[in-house]
Amino acid sequence: MSAPVLVAGRARPQRRRRRGRSPWLHVVMVPLTLAWVSPILFVLMIALRSFDDIAGRGLGALPASLTLDGFVGAFAGGGLLVALGNSLLVTAAGVVASLALSSWAAYALSRYRIPGRKAVLLVMLAGNLLPPQILLVPVAQITQSIGIYDTLFALTLVQVGFGIGFYTFVLHGFMRGLPEEMFEAARLDGAGAARIYAQLVLPLSRPSLAALAALATTWIFNDLIWALTVLRSETKFPITAALLNLQGGYSSQWNVIAAASLVAAVPTAVVFFIFQKQFVSGLLVGSNK
Amino acid sequence: MTTSLSRRGLLGAGAGLGAAGLLSSCVGSGGGGDAGGDASSGGGGPLVFQNSIQDTAPKAALEQIVAGYEREVTMNSVATEQFRAQLTNYLRASDPPDVISWYAGSVARAYAAEGLLLDVSDLWTGDGACAGFSEALRELSTAEDGKQIFVPTNYYWWSVFYKRSAFEKWGVEPPSTWDEFLALCENLSGQGVIPLANGIGPTPWMASGWFDYLDLRINGPEYHLALLAGEHSFTDPEVVDVMEQYERLIPYFDPNMASYDAQQAATPLAQDEAGMYLVGAFVSQYLPEDQRDDLDFFSVPVINDAVPTAEEAPTDGFFAASGTDDPEGTKAFLSYLASPEQQEAFITGAGSSNLPTSPEVDPSQFSPLVQKGLELLNSTERITQFFNRDSSDALQTTADAALTKFLSDPSQRDSVLQEWQAAAERVHGS
Repeated sequence: MSAPVLVAGRARPQRRRRRGRSPWLHVVMVPLTLAWVSPILFVLMIALRSFDDIAGRGLGALPASLTLDGFVGAFAGGGLLVALGNSLLVTAAGVVASLALSSWAAYALSRYRIPGRKAVLLVMLAGNLLPPQILLVPVAQITQSIGIYDTLFALTLVQVGFGIGFYTFVLHGFMRGLPEEMFEAARLDGAGAARIYAQLVLPLSRPSLAALAALATTWIFNDLIWALTVLRSETKFPITAALLNLQGGYSSQWNVIAAASLVAAVPTAVVFFIFQKQFVSGLLVGSNK
Repeated sequence: MTTSLSRRGLLGAGAGLGAAGLLSSCVGSGGGGDAGGDASSGGGGPLVFQNSIQDTAPKAALEQIVAGYEREVTMNSVATEQFRAQLTNYLRASDPPDVISWYAGSVARAYAAEGLLLDVSDLWTGDGACAGFSEALRELSTAEDGKQIFVPTNYYWWSVFYKRSAFEKWGVEPPSTWDEFLALCENLSGQGVIPLANGIGPTPWMASGWFDYLDLRINGPEYHLALLAGEHSFTDPEVVDVMEQYERLIPYFDPNMASYDAQQAATPLAQDEAGMYLVGAFVSQYLPEDQRDDLDFFSVPVINDAVPTAEEAPTDGFFAASGTDDPEGTKAFLSYLASPEQQEAFITGAGSSNLPTSPEVDPSQFSPLVQKGLELLNSTERITQFFNRDSSDALQTTADAALTKFLSDPSQRDSVLQEWQAAAERVHGS
């Protein structure tokens, strides 16, 4: 108690600032972080145990010995790597295509007096309110009838189709906020619509595009429901469906499933750490107009 | 790679029409695997085999069997629950998979009634692959119109499983009467052991195991099957009798059963904390490898000796989509899967205590557990499958809801049964 009184005079501003950051932040955040991370640690622990150890002593027991059997089992046969490749392919194609298309749509809707543009935008947004479950059967039927059922192209197409409404809506909000004077200046300089889009709109929209790209990547990569709807061949399954495939009808090799789950989580984790900043801003996109 | 592709392309173009003729000439040659296989490998691409068997060892065994087939077969494995959801889509597709793994009995019959399944009657006559199978299996594989639409390749049995070493340790013996069984539960309880393992959390259908067996033992198989077919009501006094016995078992169940799935529920058994487990023979996969030889079982004891004995033995196998563009090649592949050699290879490889459907398989090489299971099923008077397979997945959902609620609060028995009956009527009505 006495020390603070002694140094009170000079140290006060410094101490106040420190008190503002710590210690409550850490008192609350450290246990919260541990609680947040604990399921992942739990999965990691299961992945490193042998099946007999888990079966004999339960899922919750501490490992009796560590082994990489789970990872060996997960990669056995190479199916997991093929699935990872499928996922990366669909995700990359899906993100690029949906952002390209929706940025065109958003540019047109926000900068040109297209008749019924409000209605178009509302329909796009309304489409996102429909739960995907009710569209499963129609989508399966449509892909079958146009002959693209069971192809990665169909999966990419569905992902683009279902993402585009939301991305357009968000980008429209952003592009509408760009100052009209810039566009006038560009037009006075003789720039056409395509040139304005490529040299003005795209560079200016980079923050929101990056944010949407980060979100879209995780959404498409983590999707399972569409993959199961439009795909039938095991060799075309993305990682999410391949993971589900590791579960048996009656029994499961828990260590293999845990190991494969960790492998499947790596790409999204990498994307998250690269785009960390955009993720946060992505959640705020459109909120500051 | 490119040369083989172009060669195949040429062959395909050239032999496309010819193959159809060749194939039809093979009709009637019984399990004509050789002829059918060779002819069609030139014309119509590989057969597509949609598989729902995902448990590690059985899947590996099946993959090996498929790889050993003379013709190229594309095998797609899909997780069982998703497979269940997608099955109608598969069968209705304009280009459906040729061969599909699924269940015999009412589930297959329902698809056959919609005209979605290929008639495989010729495999069941003459020297067809299934001709020698038992009458019970034939009946199980027959659609309402009298045609066979299913090829059963293996089945397993349900019983009360326990570990011999644990029973020795506790100084108890397998019971032979229902009273002895209840006394055994009481005894184990007194020793601080959980008498009955169970896992009805993520796998609520496990609660139907005891319901099925109590109904079979109290009211008999005829009543049980009629009840599941909607001919009796779940509010009948017969069903109330079943629930009364079920209620007597509740204190003996694992108190954690509502949070375990079927597989987790076996951990207390492995640790000698639980004594017995009414479950399918797949339980052997749940235990650590060094405990599997210790596993033994006894049938649920007789309660009412006026009704015929019955055991649950879910039958697995394959059917084919009626929309297949290569019916002869499909049947040839089904014959291959049903052959005694492949059944034997599957059971040995799967290690999950399955039984062969073919009488030609020599059981003496299987584990003592499997032989005892075979003996049990050979000595019983009736064979049923399981709640969902004797009725439908939709009715199973009503059973899951009713039994889970009953087990958590048995005092609500009568209202649970009324709700169950109402839900069942909606299922049968639709």
